[in-house]
This record gives sequence, structure tokens and C-alpha cells, in this order.
Amino acid sequence: MKARDKEEYLSEYEILKKKGKSFFPYAIVKDSVMFVLVAAVLILMSIVMGAEQGPKADPTTTTYVPRPEWYFFFLFELLKVIKPPALVPLATIGIPTICMILLILLPFYDRNPERIPWKRPVASISGILVIVAMGYLTYMGASAGSPNEIELETAPEFEQGKQVVAQAGCLACHNIGENGAEGGLGPDLTEIGAMLPREAIKRSVAIGPGIMPSYRGLGEKKLNEVADYLASLD
Amino acid sequence: MALKIPIPGRKKESAPEPGDGAANGNGASPNGTNGDGPTRAEKVAKAKQATVHHGTAAAKNTTDWLDERVNGTGIYTAMLSRKVPKGTNWFYTLGSSVMFIFSMQAITGVFLAMYYTPSATEAYSSISHITNEVFLGEFVRGLHKWGASLMIILIFLHMARTFFFGAYKYPRELNWVIGVVLIVLTMVMGLTGYLLPFDQRSFWATIVANNITASGPVLGPYLADFLRAGPDFSATTLSRFYALHMLVVPGLIGGLIAAHLFLVVKLGTTAPPWVKAPRPKGSRPSELVPAGVPMVDATEMNLNGHSGNGHVEVSENGASLPTAETDGAAEGPPSEGEAS
Repeated sequence: MKARDKEEYLSEYEILKKKGKSFFPYAIVKDSVMFVLVAAVLILMSIVMGAEQGPKADPTTTTYVPRPEWYFFFLFELLKVIKPPALVPLATIGIPTICMILLILLPFYDRNPERIPWKRPVASISGILVIVAMGYLTYMGASAGSPNEIELETAPEFEQGKQVVAQAGCLACHNIGENGAEGGLGPDLTEIGAMLPREAIKRSVAIGPGIMPSYRGLGEKKLNEVADYLASLD
Repeated sequence: MALKIPIPGRKKESAPEPGDGAANGNGASPNGTNGDGPTRAEKVAKAKQATVHHGTAAAKNTTDWLDERVNGTGIYTAMLSRKVPKGTNWFYTLGSSVMFIFSMQAITGVFLAMYYTPSATEAYSSISHITNEVFLGEFVRGLHKWGASLMIILIFLHMARTFFFGAYKYPRELNWVIGVVLIVLTMVMGLTGYLLPFDQRSFWATIVANNITASGPVLGPYLADFLRAGPDFSATTLSRFYALHMLVVPGLIGGLIAAHLFLVVKLGTTAPPWVKAPRPKGSRPSELVPAGVPMVDATEMNLNGHSGNGHVEVSENGASLPTAETDGAAEGPPSEGEAS
């Protein structure tokens, strides 16, 4: 911004300020109306949704798939979008750091004196794109559902296996019905029973082919339950 | 020094108490520590003459007493009777809403801290106690929990307003930087607060967040070790998050809000960018012309490559107009000593 632009802005601003109203009471009244509105929404949210308490933290369950607070969904989804494990640190730390630096330094590289949004299209379009991207990633994270729950109906004899699958964290990489990681690291398991025989499924779960970790630690009984359940999916 | 607020009525007759002379501003006080002594004395004397009834006199005396010490009137003038520019609309309430909800979080947080135990063995049960037994416990916990979400929404809306209105540009660049740091700190509050209920969800989300931190470049592993209070998640981790959540980060946020507000008051809030000052064509506002700076006419400006749109009021040699310095003077009556 050149000295000329600065002076022009300052003198323009001085006039607008002289023509303006006093902060008290005019702006204060607007602020107060907004405060009341915010407080009302907050009280309503607290009454309607309350503050439920989940099961107590248990460091020995190594299979719980965590979900962050909704405003971190976009970071988590970013993690899923970038698949190669070597690039994961880039997604989690690199990209947010770069975005943060770009955000902090915004006034120092955007030196266009123009302020009207439609007269600085590059800035406005970039801003809208960032908002759309964050909104989309947040929506993706929100619609993924709980990774520890499978909503797909199943016969009662396979219920046990379904619980194990849900709790073991399979849905972090796989998709089953409406739940899990759609387009995640692992293949969709919704119809896995039609593709693989029960024994092959059991062997895969125990060994963990490719990048999949081994789940032999579940024990023979649970492995059988898992295999029974997955083989029933067709 | 004991604080003594002069009581009207008594003060008028009785001789000033020893040590109270300066406090009442009675005439020329022997200790001339007040830089602006004479004017103060005059003012007080005037106030005394104007004592019509006790109510006003009391208010006047209290104001004077405070003015001498903290310049209350100056602060009032700078903070409250400052002008907001023409065109200020509802978008400009977002910032103060964020501050409002931060105070709500502080208040509900204090009440939660009264019942919460930051230990790995008792945290969960203390939360159960708050939720199920304490009077209005679940309500206050709900306010705190949802207040966090609301604060995030409002702070991002506030940032979006600032971005699309171009309000981060000259001369408010520093306030943008402070604002971005405040957003990051608010997210840190969300992260550290998430662990405190100590249920499965919060525990494992924190483990993952920590592992993500550890995968960061250079400082990542050290930062993760610091957060965990060691190489592994332990009982100390919880109390560490607790200390960060209720002492360190809120302290930083409070301080930065003060700096943010100071700059807002000093520089003024922006007008919406499409609101322009109406000005007769080709003229420059007389009050902005500094003495001795020649008027520049439109044709001259055109030679310099500027369209003569009538908005240009800069002298050729780039001599700065006095507008930059008129910050305080323009707002309110120029009372003795603006808050600075």
C-alpha cells in the first residue's frame, strides 16, 4: 500500500467516523441485542442437548476409534483424504501449519488497497473456496457417523460378531453399510460375504494382509465371531 | 494509601483530614505530584460551586476523585463515547459476541472448577457428580460444552467479516495477527478441554491428537512429550491439560483480547467498504488541509497518472495529512489528558 493510498484511506475514514454515531449507546444497544440472542441460543442448546457423559476412559481398550469435537473434523478428514502413510504428517501438521502462516501473514502479502469484496475477486474467491472446503470436510466428518457403531441390520446370531467388529475399530479404514470410512484405506466390507469365503475372511483378519494390522490379538473366539459376522454380509 | 471517597455535605464544612488533601483535590495540594494540578484544582472548585443538590455533587466528587487517579473520564471518552463510523451494521456485533461468550465460558468454567477434580482416578466421578447431583450441574456443564462450539462458530464468522470487508488492511494489520492467534488459542482451549471429562471419547481423541502433534516437524515430538508430561499418557497428563485449559490459555486469551480491544479503540472500527464519504467533486475537505500545504488541483493529479475522481487529497510531495495524528482529538471533547 502506497503512502498515497494510506492517506486517502485515513482521510476518508476520518470523515466517515465524524458522520458516525457514538459507540455508547448506539453500538452498545446492537451489541446487547446480539448478546441476548447468543445467550438465548446457548441456554436452549444446553437444555435441549444437555451434556451427556460417555463410558469412563479405559486405557486398556486399544481398539476404541476416537472422534474429535466437530470443529476438528476438517483436520481429521484432511488426514483421510491424504492416504499414503508417508504423507500423513504433511496432512496433519504440514498443511495446517502452512495454512496458519498464510492466514497470519495475510495483511502483509495482500497489499491491494481495495476493500470492496467484489472489486478484489482473487481474495474473495479464495476466501469462499476455503470456506467451502472446510464446510465440505466438516460435513464429511459429521456424516461418517460414529466409527464404533454399525447400523446395518443383522441376524441375532451374528450380533456378537458385529459388536466385536464395531469395537475393534475396523470402521476406521473399512466401510460397512452407512458406517465407517467410505473410500477409506481398506475395501468396503458391506458385501464381503459374497466375495470371500468365511475361512479366507478369518485368515485375513488374523494375518492382516498388506497395510492392514493383524487382529490375531482378539483371540480365537472373537476371531470366529468376526468371521461369522463378516461372512454373513452379502 | 487508604481509599477514601469523599462524602459530600461533610466534606464541604470539615477541614480536610491529614493525608486526604490531595485526595479531595482541595486547592493546591502541597505535594505537587499531579502533573496537571492547577486544572484539577480549578475543576474541583468549579464543581463545588455547581453543587446544586447532593446527588450530583456526590457523583461529581467521586468522578473527580477517580479522574485524578485513573483518569476515568478519559477512559470513558476513549472507550464509550468514541464514534463508530457511518454504515456500521449488525456484522459488527460478531466480535463483541465472541467476547461475551468468552466471559460466559469463564464464568461457567469457574463454577465447574469448584466441583471438578483433575486426577485420573477421580475426574470421571467428579463429572458424574456435577452432572447428576450438583444443583443445575448438567445445565452449567451444557452451557460450557455448547458455549465452546458457539464460540468457535462466532469467532470464524467474525474472521469472515473481517476478511470480506477488507478490515485487516492498513492500519489494522496487527489486529488481524492478534485475531488469528486468538482463533488458534480458542482451538487449543477446545482441545485441552476435551480431555477433562475423561470418558472414552475424550481420552482416545486426546491420545490421537497427541500422536498427531508428535508427528509434527522439528518441535513436534518435544511438544507432544510436554503435553503428555512424558513419553506416555499418564496421570500427570490430565492435570497438565487442566492447568493449560484453565490457567495458561485463558490468561493468554484474556491478555490478547485486551490488546485486540486497545487497538480497536485506538484505530476505530472500520466502515463497510462500500460506504463512501459523500464529497463534492474536486474538493478536498477543508478541515483536512494542513496549514501551509498548497491545494492540489485535479489536472495536476492527472499528470501524475491518477484519475481525477475528486477523491484525491494528497499533496504532490506526499506530505502527510494530519489525519493520522487526529486519532484521539477527533473523538469527544478534548478533555485533559486522553487515556493513553
